[in-house]
Amino acid sequence: MRTLIRWAARLYPPAWRNRYAAEFDALLDDISPSFGDVCDVLGDVLRVRANTSIDACLMLAPVPPINLRLPVFASLTVHAVMITIVLFAVWGHVTTMPLHIVAPLPPPAPEPPPQVTDGRVFPNALTLYSSLPLKIPAQGGALPVYVADGVGINFLSLPDIGATYRQGNAEWRVWPGQALESFIVRRVLPEYPRGSNAHGAVSVFVEYLITRGGSVKVLRTSGPPPFAGAAQLAIGRWVYQPLEYENRPCEVVSRVEVRFDSELARSGFSP
Amino acid sequence: MEAKQESSIITPGVVTMQDPTILILASLADGDKHGYAIMEDIHVFAGIRLGPGTLYGAICRLEQRGWIRAVKSEARRQPYRITAAGSQHLKEQLALLGQVVRTGNRRMREA
Repeated sequence: MRTLIRWAARLYPPAWRNRYAAEFDALLDDISPSFGDVCDVLGDVLRVRANTSIDACLMLAPVPPINLRLPVFASLTVHAVMITIVLFAVWGHVTTMPLHIVAPLPPPAPEPPPQVTDGRVFPNALTLYSSLPLKIPAQGGALPVYVADGVGINFLSLPDIGATYRQGNAEWRVWPGQALESFIVRRVLPEYPRGSNAHGAVSVFVEYLITRGGSVKVLRTSGPPPFAGAAQLAIGRWVYQPLEYENRPCEVVSRVEVRFDSELARSGFSP
Repeated sequence: MEAKQESSIITPGVVTMQDPTILILASLADGDKHGYAIMEDIHVFAGIRLGPGTLYGAICRLEQRGWIRAVKSEARRQPYRITAAGSQHLKEQLALLGQVVRTGNRRMREA
């Protein structure tokens, strides 16, 4: 154990060994060392080594004053020259730089309502208002609402729903038929033209205008004459409540499909 | 009375003061001693056996602070002597320790 401690003592720094090695060795001859003493020496070796390293790190290296001043002087000189060059380079730009005051942009003007300029629109203001194909395919979007005595009325899905058409002082908005259901006052169902010898289903598409007073004016129809006449006669007798848009009275255009079925008419079908 | 109480508290095996520098200074207070003598003296009056590493680590620090100094000797065993600064430091530390002892005893009586 004594030998082990002597080996451990060799781990001390040279300065420590030069100063205390002899008396430390004499001390080991006087005592009966144990394993705890080995650990004690090793712990003290670590402490001394750590303190020595920290002291070495904290100790400033001796630097001659001339060696210290020369780099500082050179650095200051270079920095001063660079700053001077930059100032000369940008001074003219800085003093002549125009100052732009940007006025705030005016608020964007409200977009005007869509104005239809298509020449085909309103070719006849009293009968037509749009160039959209009146006969709309029946697939999808058609809602059968009323069927009686072989006659049914479908509300059509309108591709220009919500659009506003203007000509002069006239302003019409396109509303779907189902949206107008809560405003209707009187509905007259068309009668199947008994003198017709048509077989199967016949569709008549009707485009109509609801005036500001609520009366209905048929704008145009599409279909065989006896059926179109029957549809126009009935729908022209419909009455709605006066309609408003943005708190202003307005005229509304809508479209429906009137479907005549000869089989149902003969059987007197009525749901 | 208080001195008697202090002496009864500083009894070998009872004091748990772990600062070896104070123990070494106290050991050197009554005369010069080398390392082994210091170790044995501390074991007698404090009941603490210092390891060789702890002992010489503390001796190194005390010598660097100027609280002890080596006495010239031809023998392998190097005796040490407490300096005036070491004596002053020891007095301060013992006074502080005595204050702690007195305060502790008083509060124990009042409890």
